[in-house]
Parts: sequence; structure tokens; C-alpha cells
Amino acid sequence: MRHPTEGVLRRLVDEPAGVADHDRAHVAGCATCLAGLESARADARTAAVVLGTGAPAVDVEAGWARLTAAAPARAASVPARRRSWAPALRRPAVAALGAVVVLSGAGVAAANDWLPVFRTEQVQPVLLAEDELVALPDLSAFGDVEVTGEGEPAEVPDAATAEERTGLAVPGVGDLPTGVDGDPEHLVVDRLEAVFTFSAEQAAATAAAEGEELPAPPPGLDGSRIRLQAGPAVAAVWTQDSGLPVFAVGRAVAPTADSDGVPFEVVRDYLLSLPGMPDRVADQLRDFSADARTLPLPVPAEMVTASTAEVDGVEATVLESRDGAMAGVVWVRDGVITGVAGAVSTDEVLAVARSLR
Amino acid sequence: MGVRERAGGIRPDLEEVFRADYPRVVGVAARVLGSRDQAEDVAQEVFLAFGRSAVPAGEAAGWLTVAAAHTALNLLRSGRRRSAREEVVGRDQPVEAPDVADAVVARAEHGRVRAALARLPRRQAVALVLRHSGLSYDEVAAALDLSPGSVGTTVRRAESRLRKELDRDASSH
Repeated sequence: MRHPTEGVLRRLVDEPAGVADHDRAHVAGCATCLAGLESARADARTAAVVLGTGAPAVDVEAGWARLTAAAPARAASVPARRRSWAPALRRPAVAALGAVVVLSGAGVAAANDWLPVFRTEQVQPVLLAEDELVALPDLSAFGDVEVTGEGEPAEVPDAATAEERTGLAVPGVGDLPTGVDGDPEHLVVDRLEAVFTFSAEQAAATAAAEGEELPAPPPGLDGSRIRLQAGPAVAAVWTQDSGLPVFAVGRAVAPTADSDGVPFEVVRDYLLSLPGMPDRVADQLRDFSADARTLPLPVPAEMVTASTAEVDGVEATVLESRDGAMAGVVWVRDGVITGVAGAVSTDEVLAVARSLR
Repeated sequence: MGVRERAGGIRPDLEEVFRADYPRVVGVAARVLGSRDQAEDVAQEVFLAFGRSAVPAGEAAGWLTVAAAHTALNLLRSGRRRSAREEVVGRDQPVEAPDVADAVVARAEHGRVRAALARLPRRQAVALVLRHSGLSYDEVAAALDLSPGSVGTTVRRAESRLRKELDRDASSH
């Protein structure tokens, strides 16, 4: 008889009622499985110990008071949307913008489960409200998504290691902006590949769960596959004493995509029409050029304005936070995306971008 | 899971959901970060996002715990992790380690655990943290859109890798 999987052995450790009788019977009389079970038990115990929190007492009242002090300002309608809780969001927003600009290829795709289906030669920001970043649909609800590669930044010791691992040189920065100093941390993201197989059945079930009907799929779409590749990417990140990232430069191989059936534009337009996608976002995404050369770069519209400037002989997208605390610039040349961002002014970020070696 | 933008304002069931799930959400983040103060910051962010979302009430608990795990892991991997380490040393450890020598060991261990967690593949890390936060296999499966069968496999691999990362780290110190 076949041995139960390591997952079954793991479940025997702490939820044996969830394991089928025949598997339990097998394990009880199988030396190999008993050894596997013991090893699973030991690792589970180690994890339980190191992840223990000592059951901290949580003050729900104080937490609620803090939340309500922050939230109602938002609920109250208002002019200009300057909310009292903006400061609470500033730090994560800065970090998010830095990550978006630096690791735009793999990072954004992985973060949002949304995979750009465009071969990229140009970057165009899509201005989205923050909650719409969350709202981008997880494609796994509409078919199978098989991801190869991790898509998560990993720290490496230096620029040489980063280059060796990714084949991309970390852009060299000459003069750093005022207030940025010290040695950067180097991050890499390995190449990420995803194959999405559309399933009409699954998409219909998802639509039904939302109380809507699935729009009729274009002929030939069911079962056809899209292959999306992003990365690798490298970045150098400077941090403040507090640990907050303050400045970063990065480079990534631009995402590409191909399909083995229905043409891309058809797939894209159809995906955009599926239940779960806010209309406004769908409209913005539909505006992308049909020649499939634009990387949609979602940025929080409430926090960031976008413009263009010339860098390295190509048109670059310049992003600036509305409070002026943060700026970034990103451009694509020969299939490689380069980004510079930080808690600095637009002029400073452009100066660095134009002097990269 | 599609999450629609609300027409505006904060959802009316926020307080009820907050009171029911706040301790669990803080607990999930605390397992990742090892710091209650930081975990509460994460929980605040997560509930603010939830308050403005239209996540169905029945899916709230799963959504919140997954969001807490991701947000905390993001924090761990961001440049802020260094300050997280410093912060925790000052505040949390002495409670569990009354002895000075123990405190030193606990401090080093704390940093190693955070570093090891940050190196796990994201899905494994989230499954690991949710299971150790008391979610059942079925709850973890629903929250992560996995089959219940593959939850065991994912958690097992996470634990195995966590142990290896900790071993590797210990031998290099």
C-alpha cells in the first residue's frame, strides 16, 4: 500500500480526527511512516515553541478606541479627503511606493496576484485608490494559476552577489541625495513565472458566488493558457536608523507574456469584464495601448501624482506623493525596467536617475 | 476573492467584527513579529482596510487573519525589521526571561526566528502562522484557497524549512 503523504502525517500530529481511518491504520503498522510522524511531530513542536507569543493579553477596548479615533474622519464625507489618520498610513504607503517602483515587475505581480499580460517597453501608471489595490481579482478564482519562483525579495550580501544571482547589474549611484548615506542593503527577486489556465467552470462558480452571471467566454478561451514571466530584479535600498527605507534604486527584467491559444488582447478584455473587478479599474486598464507594450503600474491615486520626464533617452514616469514626502521615477529600456525612489524631492530623484552608471 | 469598493464610509458591522476578531488578529501578527506593540499596529492597519472593504461578513475572520499575516510578514521583510528587533528586545522578552543570561539567549533567538520566518516562501509562512494561531486545517484551507489535504503538506514543509533555517543559523553563530 502507498504511504500517506507528509501532509497526512503532519495532520496526524495535531488534528488526527481529520485523517482517514485507512491512513491511520497504515501509519500505526508502518515503521517508515512512524519515523516520518515522529520527525513531523518534532518539527511542529519546535515551530510551536519559537512562534509562541506567551498569549499576550490584548486590550480590545483600547484597540477599538484607537481605531475609532482614526476611522470616523474617513467616514465623514469630505472636502479634500485630508483625513486625520493620514499620518498612520504614511509609513506603509512610502514603503509600498518604494517597493512598487523598485520591484515593479515581479513585486507588483506577486503582491496583487494580478499578472501583467503585456510585453513591456513603456511604463504607464494606473491611478488606483488604495482599496482597489486590494480589489484586483485573484486569478485563481477564474482558473488554475501555477507559479514557479518565489517573487519575494531576498537579501544578499552585496551588489556582486546580486548580479551573479540575477544577471542584472545593480545601478551605480554617484552622489546620494542629502540625508541619505551609509551602505545600502541589496535585494534580489528571482525570475517568476506563472501559467494561468482559464476555467469557464470555475469562473462561473465565482460569478455565481457574487450573485452574478459569468459573461460568455470568447470561443476557445476555456482551457487556453497564458504564460507570464517577470523578473529577475535587483535593488539597493538605503535605510534610516529607524530601519525605514529612505532611498532605493532597482532594476528588473520587464514582464513578458504569451498565450498558447486565444490572443492576449481578447483574454485581457475578457478578464477585465469578470465579476469582482471594479468598473473604474477595468476602464483604466482597457485604455492600455493595443500593441501590448505598456506595463500597468498600480499606484495609490489618493497619495501619488504622476507625470513624465526624459531619462536615459526615453520617457520616464515620475511619481510624487501628494504630501511631497516621496518621489520615484521609473522607465523601461531594452526590456529592462529601472527605478529610483525615496523620501526625497522629485528633482533629487531625477538627478540620481540621470546619473546612474 | 473579489473585494468591491464600498460606496463610501465605514462598514456598519466593523465594531462587531473588531470585538470578535481583534485578539486573534493581534495574535497572528504577534507570532510573526514577536512584538505585541507592532502586532497591534498591524491589526489597526488591517481593520482600517477591512472597515472600508466589502468583504462578506462570513469571510471576515479568514480575510483578517490572512491580511494580518501578510502585513506582518511585509513588515518583517521591509527595512523596518531592524527596528522591530531592537524594539522587541526592550519590551517583550524580559517577561518570558527573568534571568539576564536567559534574556540574552532569548534576544538572539528572537532575531534568528524572525530572520528564518522572513526566508520562508510566503504561502508556507502564512499557512504556518495561521495553523499555529489556532486555525483548523479547514479554516486555513478556506483562508488560503488550498485544499484541506494540501494544508498539512504546506505546514509540514514550512516547519521543516523553519527548523533547517534555525539550525543553519545556529551553526553559523
